[in-house]
Amino acid sequence: MMDDSVHSPTRRGTPAPTLNVNFTLNQQPISLEVAPNAVLLDVLREQLGLGGTKKGCDHGQCGACTVHVDGQAMNACLRLAVMCEGQHVTTVEGLAREGELHPVQQSFLACDAFQCGYCTPGQMMSATALLNDARIGSDDAAVKEAMSGNICRCGAYKNILTAIQQARATLADDATRRAGEGTP
Amino acid sequence: MNDLTQSTLAQPKVVGQRTPRIDGEFKLTGRAGYTGELSVEGMLYGYPVAASIAHGTLERLELDEALAMPGVVDIFHHANFPRLHRSPNSMGHGDQVSEVRLPFEDERIYYHGQYVALVVAESFAQARAAAQRVVARYRQETGAISSLLDGAHDSHTEGELLEDSGTTRGDPEAAFAGAAVQIDAVYHIAAESHLQMEMHATLAEWRDDGSRLVVHESSQGVFYQRNAMARIFDLAQENIEVISHYIGSGFGNKLFMWPHAVAAAGAARELGRPLKLVLPRAQDMTGGGNRPASRQRLRLGADRDGRLNAVIHDSTTETSLVDRYVDACGSATPSFYACDNLAVSQRILALNHGTPCPMRAPGEVSGIFALETAMDELAVALAMDPVELRLRNYAHEDPESGLPWSSKQLDKCLHSAAERFGWAQRDPGIGAMRDGDEIIGYGMAACTWFAGRQPCQARVELRADGTLFAACGTQDIGTGTYTIVAQTVAELTGVAVADIEVKLGETSLPTGPLSGGSMATATTLPAVAAAVRDALSALKEVATGHGGVFAGVDADSLTVAEGALSDGERSHSFAEVLEAMRLSSVNGQGSSAPGEEKKQYSFRSFGAHFVEVRVDPSISRVRVARVVSSMDIGRAINPPTARNQVEGGIVMGIGMGLFEKLDYDPRDARLINANVADYIVPVHADIPEIDVELLDYPDFKFNEFGARGVGEIGLTGIAPAISNALYHATGKRYRDLPVTIEALLADHASG
Ligand code: FES
Ligand code: FES
Repeated sequence: MMDDSVHSPTRRGTPAPTLNVNFTLNQQPISLEVAPNAVLLDVLREQLGLGGTKKGCDHGQCGACTVHVDGQAMNACLRLAVMCEGQHVTTVEGLAREGELHPVQQSFLACDAFQCGYCTPGQMMSATALLNDARIGSDDAAVKEAMSGNICRCGAYKNILTAIQQARATLADDATRRAGEGTP
Repeated sequence: MNDLTQSTLAQPKVVGQRTPRIDGEFKLTGRAGYTGELSVEGMLYGYPVAASIAHGTLERLELDEALAMPGVVDIFHHANFPRLHRSPNSMGHGDQVSEVRLPFEDERIYYHGQYVALVVAESFAQARAAAQRVVARYRQETGAISSLLDGAHDSHTEGELLEDSGTTRGDPEAAFAGAAVQIDAVYHIAAESHLQMEMHATLAEWRDDGSRLVVHESSQGVFYQRNAMARIFDLAQENIEVISHYIGSGFGNKLFMWPHAVAAAGAARELGRPLKLVLPRAQDMTGGGNRPASRQRLRLGADRDGRLNAVIHDSTTETSLVDRYVDACGSATPSFYACDNLAVSQRILALNHGTPCPMRAPGEVSGIFALETAMDELAVALAMDPVELRLRNYAHEDPESGLPWSSKQLDKCLHSAAERFGWAQRDPGIGAMRDGDEIIGYGMAACTWFAGRQPCQARVELRADGTLFAACGTQDIGTGTYTIVAQTVAELTGVAVADIEVKLGETSLPTGPLSGGSMATATTLPAVAAAVRDALSALKEVATGHGGVFAGVDADSLTVAEGALSDGERSHSFAEVLEAMRLSSVNGQGSSAPGEEKKQYSFRSFGAHFVEVRVDPSISRVRVARVVSSMDIGRAINPPTARNQVEGGIVMGIGMGLFEKLDYDPRDARLINANVADYIVPVHADIPEIDVELLDYPDFKFNEFGARGVGEIGLTGIAPAISNALYHATGKRYRDLPVTIEALLADHASG
């Protein structure tokens, strides 16, 4: 870039330094050697072959890279991989369990809550996080506000909202049923 | 039971029925492989270095530091990139590209973001880090043109007049001069970014000692890219394969190849290793396509009853210095309203931008903003209801060609949407409708998009395991093409959608169309249907031949239902028929092309949007609160995905109306807001209540499925409906898009 004054020592031929990081990824413990400046999103996509987490901007502006870190929705493009030491990271590949789609995935399919599908993993990760977040109201306006970090350029927003509210109902039913089964 | 293959699809069972996307589970579980997440053995990563100026010369590149960075393999630029050939860039010959100039071709800088080098490294992070250490020295020149809308080019005579892009009928100038009521206004629309969520991406791999090239590209047109690459790399077409299975949408900027793909393939060949290049977002926005800004003058002349007797539509749009792109704003105007005197003209102005390209409803969406805002101005001048004005000028046949419409239900769209919206409750007084502190504005606009078809081929296999396979070299960009192909096969065979495999997006498949112009559905399905019928006739031949399960029976007497052949008494599944002859499968080929129907009818989709805006004058805030639309698109093959297209178009229209603007610095033509936060698009919180109705009038004159296509039309007409609603709320006429909060504030302050 023009007038780039940043200077770094010549390192040709020197191997890139790496750090070791250990965390839980989709319920599996993993141990990795990563570059100190490696971004979680790139490590997932390029090093681990988990392409479900998408890159739409690399700047924390679009939400396509949303994953869960200890249950919180986070932009994987804004996190260094080494920051995940000891944490639980869940990606879209970890949403379905034993081959069965998560209720959010099921409702996205049933409601046609996507078109190209590129923003969709991020939308679903934000949705599953907000459905577990007691601070976020259950009305449409609150959901829309909470989801506004996830851009869908295809504009499938209406169906995404419907899908989230449908998943909320399914999850509530499941919870009621489990509670019912628990009582003698 | 009727033979499904002979039916006219008048009463289909699967086509027209809600069908969950067959690719849905792949997309929802992260298993769909979009180009940027593919990898192959030994793959390198490319990261372009983009010019930081828009006008001048590249004097020098300082590469030593970058070359010494870990993992860096090479850096390509003007002095060392292989000398290639240009593509002939012909639409007719299928080798059109988005920007004909080759990467690194010369050292002139024509626009901000132009590639000046390509860093290649072992990892993405290494390539990016090194690209940031490349130092480029430029000689910047003054005189860059930053925008058609920079204030210096706002006249009817700027730019080059395109003689072959205009049309005239009657004597429009005289008719306008003599009209009892005249509207004469100028409309400006800012340049927009496609901002498709998946950036442009290429994975190029040379095989067989560099004699064959395999390219994965996020593409809306794999055949166009293959043909262009064949010319650029001087290879036989059959030695190039272009693959695009999943596309993070495109909206037009992935129709034709861009220079990044040439840079990737060229570098991969030089280095003898596969190379992946995903454009960073900023470069995707500077050099990966845009909708050019437009300046339009619209003149309408009418009598006191509101009958149009003159329409004059003069447009100027931007192009770049390295290609010629024409965004034909006036292309819908001649067919929109009945009017004997009409003229449309088109100019282009070359400036220092990356080359513009088609963006969803190219040309027409801009032209319809001007026309439908002017119609609202005419309605105000006549004190006439804007719906009534449109009905009064209804074109019962295509006024441009003189041909009858194949099927036009715009009147039903206007009535139905008005009814559902509650248009009758509108108080036409300016600012007359209020809710607390908010002023409510109602606005409407009609909309249209042409219906076209392209030639197409397809292949279908009936397999001994009971499954079916369909293949076509078109793409599914998120519109649902995979699913409607499966529905078509299911319809004609009675086999469940779940047992049908569909393959798209490869140049090794039968030649398929671009995914663009709302043409893919009407183009692809007839070819798929022909291939199904061909496969079924092959199956009947097998069944009735020597040793077949229906040996001796007349093949023509066999009927098809539920995945089986029947002679009226006995029925055998496709699998049994094949099994009996030890066949793995039978194969069918099909092709289709537009035919005589184009000489007999005019084909267009139409629709109507009704919009409620709410303006809070104390903070100059405007929100779209409600959109009610009716669309006449022929038959929707898969209603939920078709409706999703219209809803998505409406969302993009809200962006065009209120938010979207590529901001070029007037001093040096650099793109200021080349990122997803500063280029504003609608997000969840901006989305109003949306009520879309798809009228069901199958257009069998167009094709046997009755589908005209649905990708663009939802976007057309939204921006004028918003600006017309804003006029109703505020009494201010907004002729420039987007209508930003700054524009509202300025008017509020001066008003
Ligand atoms: S890629 Fe992380 S927010 Fe866009
Ligand atoms: S589905 Fe394409 S961006 Fe959301």
